[in-house]
Amino acid sequence: MLPEYGILIVGYLVGFYMAWNIGANDVANSMASAVGAKAITIRQAIFIAGILNIVGATFIGSHVTNTIRKGIVSIEVLSDPHTALIGALSALLAAALWVSFATFKSLPVSTTHSIVGAMIGFGVMTGGLSVINWAKLGAVVASWVISPVFSLVIAFLLFKFIVKVVLSKDDPFEWGLKFSPLFIGSTLFVVVLSFLFKTPLGKTLALGNITAIVFALFSAATLGYFGKYLLTRILSRHQARVEEIFRRIQIGTSCYVALAQGANDVANAIGPLAVIYFLVKSGQVGATVPVPLFLLFFGGIGIACGIAMAGHRVMKTIGTKITTLNNSRGFAVDFSAATTVLIASKMGLPVSTTHAAVGGVLGVGIARGLEAVNFRIVFQIMIYWVLTVPAAALTSMAIFSILRTIL
Amino acid sequence: MRLPFLSMFVTSPFDGLQEHAEKVKECAWTFQQAMECYVAERCRRFAELRNEVTQMESDADVVKRRIRGHLPKGTLLPVDKFQLFRYLREQDSVLDTVEDALDWISYREQPGIPKELEKDLLLLVDSVVDPIEELSKMVAEARKYFKNYSEKQRKVVKDIITTLRQQEHDADKAEDVLKRKVFALDTLPTTVFHTVRLAETIGAIADHAQNAGDMMRAMVAK
Repeated sequence: MLPEYGILIVGYLVGFYMAWNIGANDVANSMASAVGAKAITIRQAIFIAGILNIVGATFIGSHVTNTIRKGIVSIEVLSDPHTALIGALSALLAAALWVSFATFKSLPVSTTHSIVGAMIGFGVMTGGLSVINWAKLGAVVASWVISPVFSLVIAFLLFKFIVKVVLSKDDPFEWGLKFSPLFIGSTLFVVVLSFLFKTPLGKTLALGNITAIVFALFSAATLGYFGKYLLTRILSRHQARVEEIFRRIQIGTSCYVALAQGANDVANAIGPLAVIYFLVKSGQVGATVPVPLFLLFFGGIGIACGIAMAGHRVMKTIGTKITTLNNSRGFAVDFSAATTVLIASKMGLPVSTTHAAVGGVLGVGIARGLEAVNFRIVFQIMIYWVLTVPAAALTSMAIFSILRTIL
Repeated sequence: MRLPFLSMFVTSPFDGLQEHAEKVKECAWTFQQAMECYVAERCRRFAELRNEVTQMESDADVVKRRIRGHLPKGTLLPVDKFQLFRYLREQDSVLDTVEDALDWISYREQPGIPKELEKDLLLLVDSVVDPIEELSKMVAEARKYFKNYSEKQRKVVKDIITTLRQQEHDADKAEDVLKRKVFALDTLPTTVFHTVRLAETIGAIADHAQNAGDMMRAMVAK
């Protein structure tokens, strides 16, 4: 059993490295608008992002991890434990390699796409093209297109709404305060629901759908009004500027993004590792093996380490580059991105937080909310979609062939 | 590291627009000094002031090129890109025309403007400096409008544009008075030609400021 344990150790290391990369590269998405809009400092951003990524990964994350592991690649390829073990390891290695290459070359490559591509490569190597669940893969690819568009639409509508009911008023501060329970409450509503649905916590509480929604609505409304009370207390002494309200709310929404990001992205690092873990522990992988909580926690820690180590440099760039994004815009971007990612996460679709955030910024841009936004990044991202998946698949296949001859 | 999220944010052209407008304003003040110097009895600093204006004009050109060069295809702006460029062109023409006026004087610095016309010339100069000063204010107020889209703020911008129109009209009248008087004078034909052309060039400064205002009106249209 010695080589198996060796593989497990390597799996842990590479899984951690992947998580680290997610933290280092994607922290910008959750905290960029808040730091850019000067709602929080760099130090606060790193701290919040680290903690909430761990929380999100551990308590909301499990569902997605299942999907990547057994949704796209048919369970049949996992029947031979030895092959499956090598396969999962090569998928993880290939994805890690791609992410490193992308970071080195400064390419907008998503970790999500790398891991999905790598899993496909391994599946094809072991069972041919027939083991790929094309319908499922189609749904995943569709979610990559739909998620930025969805985020764009939410951001567009939300920003237009903010302009109409708050910013364009003669006394925007008063109106902002009036609507603050709605902004705070709707954010909390989605967060509470995501905790209650399809998570270990939700299962323990065993609330029905209706009860859960009612509970979420009630708590969101209560906390929303409490938030308004706090805002009134804090801000009445200040100069009555409406952006100050959004600045406070934005601290909350950037937490929301960090949470959603942890929940969604942890699967990229932990998915293949979970396969390895179960193969080594039990010798086989059943159809319904849950991902252990500690693996998710391990992934969350990895992401947090990445944030802690590379976050500072990234945030500094953000602070100087994103000067046109103020708090009301930042709120719209954060809200749309996090809502998109959480919904996708709950549906078991591995979408990219980056793409959701990009969609959100474009939505505000189309609503004429920003002084200058480069739309062309969309095409660049699309090119890398088309390139990353097959490239990661091929790399994974090559590593698989090598490992099979060695081990 | 280049993150997709970050590469979406390109430099705001409005920063540049504001900077350009400030340069134009500075230039207007130097222009005013140069004109006062030209009218004055013993003017030693005219050449120096003219060089200053030329220098500012080339500084502003750098800003202009930077704005144009940093707007890649597919940049989303709160306004139409062509409107922005046309606005910038008009704002830049203000500066070019100021430079033209000083150049024109330098071709025939002596014997200077006829005594009888000194006051009218200075009045004309003052009447074109006012609209130039409005430009930077207009850009700043327009930026505020693009932040909150409030009707109140739109009104502020529109009021500035109305002021610009009025000031252009005043400048036209001052130009008219000057030209009328110079023909009535018993003086050299070259002096008449020089003065008329000078009055027209200075008057054109206000025209360009007004054109800039009209482009701004299009930009803040709903």
